[in-house]
This record gives sequence, structure tokens and C-alpha cells, in this order.
Amino acid sequence: MTAAFSRFLRTDWFGPLAIIVVASIGISIFDPSFLSPFNIQILLLAASVNCLIAMSQMVIIAIGQMNLAIGAIGGLSAICFAGLMQVWGFPPILAAAAGLAIGVAAGLINGYLIARTGISAFIITLASLSIFKGADLGITRAQPFYGIPVSVKAFGNTTIFGPIPWLALPTATVVAGMWYLLYRQRIGRYILAVGGNANAAELSGISIARTVISAHAISGFLAALAGIMLVARLQLGQPSIGDDWLILSFAAPVIGGAALSGGHVSVFGTLFGVVIVAIITQALVIFHIDPYFVEVVLGLLILWAVGVNRLREVRFQNVTRAA
Amino acid sequence: MSSTLSLEARGIQKAFPGVLALQDVTLTMRGGSIHALLGENGAGKSTLIKIITGVYRPDDGELRLNGAPVRFEGPRDAIAAGVGVVHQERNLIPRFSVGENILLERLGGGLMRPIDYDAVHTEARRWLEVLELDLDPRTPVSQLNVAKVQLVEIAKALSLRSRVLLLDEPTASLTPQEAEVLFRLLRKLRDEGASLLFVSHKLEEVQQICDEVTVLRDGRNACPSRPMAGLGRQDLVRLMIGRNEQIPDWPPSDHSRSERMLALKNVSTALGHVDIDLTVRRGEIVGLYGLVGAGRTELAKCILGLYPLTVGEIEIAGRPERIAGVADAIHRCGIGYISEDRKQEGLILAHTVLENAGITIWRKLAGRFGLLRDEAVRAHVSPVIAELEVRAPSLAQIVGNLSGGNQQKISVAKWLAAGVRILIVDEPSVGIDIKTKAYIHELLRRLADQGTAILLITSDMPEMITVADRIVVMDDYRIKGELANSRHYTQMGEGIMALIHARDAA
Repeated sequence: MTAAFSRFLRTDWFGPLAIIVVASIGISIFDPSFLSPFNIQILLLAASVNCLIAMSQMVIIAIGQMNLAIGAIGGLSAICFAGLMQVWGFPPILAAAAGLAIGVAAGLINGYLIARTGISAFIITLASLSIFKGADLGITRAQPFYGIPVSVKAFGNTTIFGPIPWLALPTATVVAGMWYLLYRQRIGRYILAVGGNANAAELSGISIARTVISAHAISGFLAALAGIMLVARLQLGQPSIGDDWLILSFAAPVIGGAALSGGHVSVFGTLFGVVIVAIITQALVIFHIDPYFVEVVLGLLILWAVGVNRLREVRFQNVTRAA
Repeated sequence: MSSTLSLEARGIQKAFPGVLALQDVTLTMRGGSIHALLGENGAGKSTLIKIITGVYRPDDGELRLNGAPVRFEGPRDAIAAGVGVVHQERNLIPRFSVGENILLERLGGGLMRPIDYDAVHTEARRWLEVLELDLDPRTPVSQLNVAKVQLVEIAKALSLRSRVLLLDEPTASLTPQEAEVLFRLLRKLRDEGASLLFVSHKLEEVQQICDEVTVLRDGRNACPSRPMAGLGRQDLVRLMIGRNEQIPDWPPSDHSRSERMLALKNVSTALGHVDIDLTVRRGEIVGLYGLVGAGRTELAKCILGLYPLTVGEIEIAGRPERIAGVADAIHRCGIGYISEDRKQEGLILAHTVLENAGITIWRKLAGRFGLLRDEAVRAHVSPVIAELEVRAPSLAQIVGNLSGGNQQKISVAKWLAAGVRILIVDEPSVGIDIKTKAYIHELLRRLADQGTAILLITSDMPEMITVADRIVVMDDYRIKGELANSRHYTQMGEGIMALIHARDAA
């Protein structure tokens, strides 16, 4: 019993989950409507899209890099999705496929440039952020696409049953898929191996270039999916989609226990990290605090999470040394 | 595929920016033999191994497997051709399990078929058993000590069933018992027809298990591949360094009345040390001997203030001191620490000689407004660099491009420049060649004679017996006893081992 419990304590997702439970109980004491079906639906809507954004960054954190361009990729895919439907009358499925293809292509370009030039991911994605964002604004002239089909709008704003929105469906699939990928698929293990010790991975015969490119392609795909889902939820193809993703994309994986140096991420920890961010956002509304302070809170949260991870790492090392 | 595989490297040439690492090097390995590759640090051994295993591509020359020319575009090609390697650097993924590390590139599974970890761990266990290693393959590598990590790497190389297996200093962190298991296994592989290449600085080991030898010196063949028979230790040394080995014969000296520079009194630490009493006097070299994991490096870090003491106190030159951290240790207490891990902790490889050697005195030399002039640093550093005979084209040379021995000299230089009174030296000759090693020993002696108190941490017993005045034995984070050094090898060796094993009787 105690052994099993201490194992839970050491998992990456236990801490965030405990915070979620405690915070939910705490907030609902002040305001019982916090746990109302309607509010839970709002929470899930926000978390569904944000979770994809976080996963998109998480897979890059796993290889020990960072992707500054996920917002730009998501925005570009979003307006392509919306634009194809409005301007050329593409059916939603086809437009979504095209949007996702653009996300994957953008990721492939990032990955290819990083792997082949050896320039740091920070610089490459900083440059491509500007390029993708520029393309987005150039195509739209900064004007939204309004011609979103009813079916797409419905997908973004209705529920399957109870408070569960349709948007949660792709996200749940992605979470399960990411777990399967990172813990049970070769490419996922390679991603974590390259993040953990790139030199060792290469000497074992793993292609670092292919692994890096794959990770960026996955990241691009997830960013595109997030962008497309946001179009459905907002009911318009807003060119500014993706502008505010960056902080969140780092906050959630880090709260979930990811090592920014690479090689270690937690899918469920990241999911719970997203939920924590959503709860904080809601709590600020409930307690009548200016929602613009969300960014301040997120920043503090990142610092706190990095600090906690660091502490756990140091303690872990000391424990193993003493053993 | 035939059961034996011979490998030949012919006329290999490899240049790095500013260095001709290998020049017309030839190596012939036969199936069914253990081939020693010898040479000082910087002679080109690791470079040659990296060429044979596809990590580097040669500028000129060719590789032949069973007489047929081959070209490896990367490690994967070499592995596929049956060439396996245990590199000198640690090459495992810390967060992955032992089993997954062993089978990393052969995990199996497919899109619809998840990786079968039970199968992976079962297969991995087989290879651990071959090495007589009692280890759960599900253990994360981050929880293993250095020796176990080394053995897991060997298991990984074995699991590839390579017919050509290259081992770059595989015994560096093994106990004699572990090394013996490894040697038994290597002999078995040899008898089964494998070609083995063995690199080690421990010539006793080389003579014990190798039947053929190639010696490199300054990136060239000092001798072509030849049978070991007929070569004695002195012959090998002469081939490696071009002259005979000199064993210094310093008179034993008595420091018992000199000032106590460093004294630990009844110290226990947060890392688990218990009741440590230790004194180092002015002009004295105290050896701290113990096996890997005995807690010696950890004690050094506690002295430097990196981890807190829980009980007891430290006296510097007779005054009790609370050392708040490394900066405090250096600047207030005059304690320098030469790390065993040069690359990780001792040097900033991407920086120049000047920046590395001067880093400890920046604070002292910084002028008004914290302004630091290169000339001021150079004036302090140049004499030290010259004194240590560092072989670098200039102070502007990047340290990462220097050989291991020269890197070690730089890490000594930075403490000399700082003028420390107490120097803690941790495994100074790991990965250092014979010539530089002898030089480092002389240097430590000279520093001590000039009044520095030196605490020498080493697992190399000959080194301990050559250099130390007094030997303190540590095991399991406790001091087991102390011996005055008679410089009599057998006697000291037995005395030390008796102290380490005293706990079994207790």
C-alpha cells in the first residue's frame, strides 16, 4: 500500500492531479457554480484546444529543443482551412486535411533545416515563426474569413453528451495517441532517446536527423489541428489565431514534469498542466480579477514548476547516490 | 557469413582543423585474437576507433573486412557489417531502462504492434547474464554507478553479436574482479573466432589478455600490427613514448610537525559521510584511497561547501571555518579542486586556454567597475602555462582541441594561477598517458614541496603509492584507517586492501 502510494507520488502526473482536485474543491466552496455542467463544459472547451498546443510543444521539448513557431503554424493552417472553405467552397473534411498537411509541411521544413544546418532550433523556429506569420497576414490582409460552414461551427460548439464537447474527441484521441507514440512506438522512444543523450542515440545507429524531422512534423500536425479546432470554436478564420500560444505551450508541459533539457516528458502530466491553466483562468474570472493577469500567473507558474522539477531531480540524485 | 571476420585499416589519414590526427595509419586485426591498441593520449587511438566504427570518415585510406573494401557512412553501417564498439564516453540514455538501452535500435514493434517490453527485458537479461551481472534490466540507467554503466555498455555491444568488437578503455571504472569477468568473456569470444580490439592504459591488463598489438605515436604507427610475444612492458612503453618509463624515487618525508592546513573533525555530511577525521598538513600529499563509490569525490564536494555538513567542523590553517560555497572556498579559504571529470566540471571546452586558466583570478584582477583586461590575466597565466609545459599553439587556442593531457595541465594551471594553499586533486590521471602522468606526479610533488597541502583522490594504487606521503582509506562513506606510505608496493597494497575489507570482519 505505502509502496504503491509512494510510486504514485513520484509520477509526474500525481502532483498536477492533486492540485486540480484541491483547487476544484477550494474554488467550488467559494462559488458552487464552478462545478456546474456549464462551467465544466467551458473548461473542457478551453482545455481541448490548449492541450493540443501543449502537446505540439511537448514533443519538441522531448528532443531537447523548443519550437517558437507553433503559433504561426497553427495560425497559417487555421486560415488555410477557413479560406479554402470560404473562397473555393472546399468541403470541411478536405479543407481540414489541407490545413493539417500545411502544418506537417511547416514542421518538416523546420525539422529539415534544424537537422541539416545544425543551427539551433531556437533560431530556425524564430525565423520560420516570422515567415509563417507573414504568410498568414499576407494571405488574409489581416481580415478574418467569416464563411465557416454550419457543420464546422456546430462541431466547435456543441456537446456529445452532458458537458463533454465534440472538440474533446480529437484531443482525447491525440492524448492516447501521444502516449502510445512516446511509450510504445519506436519513433517515440527515439525521440526521447535523442533528447536524453543525442550522442548515445547516434552511436546506437539511430538517425538523429530523421528523429528530429519526425518530431517537428508531429509538432506541426498538432499545431495545425489546434488551429483548425479553434476556427470551429471561434466560428471564424481569425488571422491572429496562434499569437498567444507560446507561454501556454511551455507552461503546461513543464507543470507536467517535462525536463526542458530533453529526454523526459509526461503526456498525462501535460494534460493536467493544461487543466490547471484552464482552472486558473476560470478562477481569475470567478474572483473578479482582471483576466489580463493570466499571463502574469502563467509566468509565475512556469517558474514554480521549473523550480519543483529541479528540486525533484536533485533529491532523486541524492537518493540514488545514498542507496 | 563466415564465423571469423578480419578487419584491416590501411593508410588511414584524418585531419581536424589545426591537427593532423592520423597519418598513414595501418591496423590489421585477425579473427580469433585480442589486439591491443596502445598509445599515449592524443596519439590517435580514439580517432582510429571512430573511423573504424563509422563515426568519422577517413580523409584517405581504406577499411577492408575479410579483404573486401568497405565504406561506412555512419555508425549504423558499421553495426550492420558486424563491427561493434564500446566507446570511451558514456553512451546510454539515463532515463531509459537498462534493457531498453541494450536493445535501443532493435526495439521491434510496428504501428499497430506496440513495443513488447517483456520481450526486450528478457532478451537484455540474457546479455547481462553473459557478463555475470546480477541486474534487473528494468532498472533505469540513471540509478546505476559508473562501473555498472560500463558493464551495461559492454552488454549492449555484445548483444549486437559483433564479429569485430572494439573496446576503448573498458576497464577504466571496473574493480579488478569485474575486469576479470570481462577478460574471461573476451577470451571466450576470441576462442569463438571474434576479432577484438582492446584499448587500455593499464599495461598489466594488456599483457595479460592481448596476443597482438599495434602502437600509435603522434598519429602514426610506432609499430605495425605484430604479435605481443617477445614484447615486455618496457618495450611497449618505449614504443608509446619513445623513451623509457621513469619511476620517481622520492625520499619519504615527515610532515607531522607542519601546520595543519585542512582538518576535518568528526564530520558527517548531508551526503551520508559519518565521523570523518582527516588532516592535511602544509607540504604534505595525503592520498584518499577507495573504490569507485566509496564517497571520496562526494567528500571533496562537501569540503568545497557544495553540500552541507550535518555534524563536526572544518578547520583551515587552524581556524574553524564555515565554507559557504565554491567561491568562498577558493577566494577566502584558498582551496582549489581539480575535478575527475575534466570535460563536465573542470574546463569550459569551447573557451580558450587564457579564459580557462584565468577564470579563478578574474575576481581578483577585475579593476574598477569590474573591468577585466586580457593583459592582466595573461600576465598571471602565462608563467604558469609555461611552467606546466602546456602544448598549445597560443593562449587563444580552444581548450576542446587540446589533448587530454594538456587539458589536465590547464585545469591544474588555473589553480596555480589562483595561488591556492590547499589543493584537492580528484583522479588526476584518468585518461592521461604515461608521460603526462609522470609529469603530473612530479608537479604535485613540487607543489607540495613549495608548501601546498594536497589531498589526492585516486583509485590507481600505483599512483597513490608513488605520490602520497600518507594514505587514508575510505569505504562506504567512512574512514577505514590510515597508513604511512612506505612506497613498498606489495606491502602497501595489502595494507590498503586489509583496511577496506575490515568491515567484513566487523
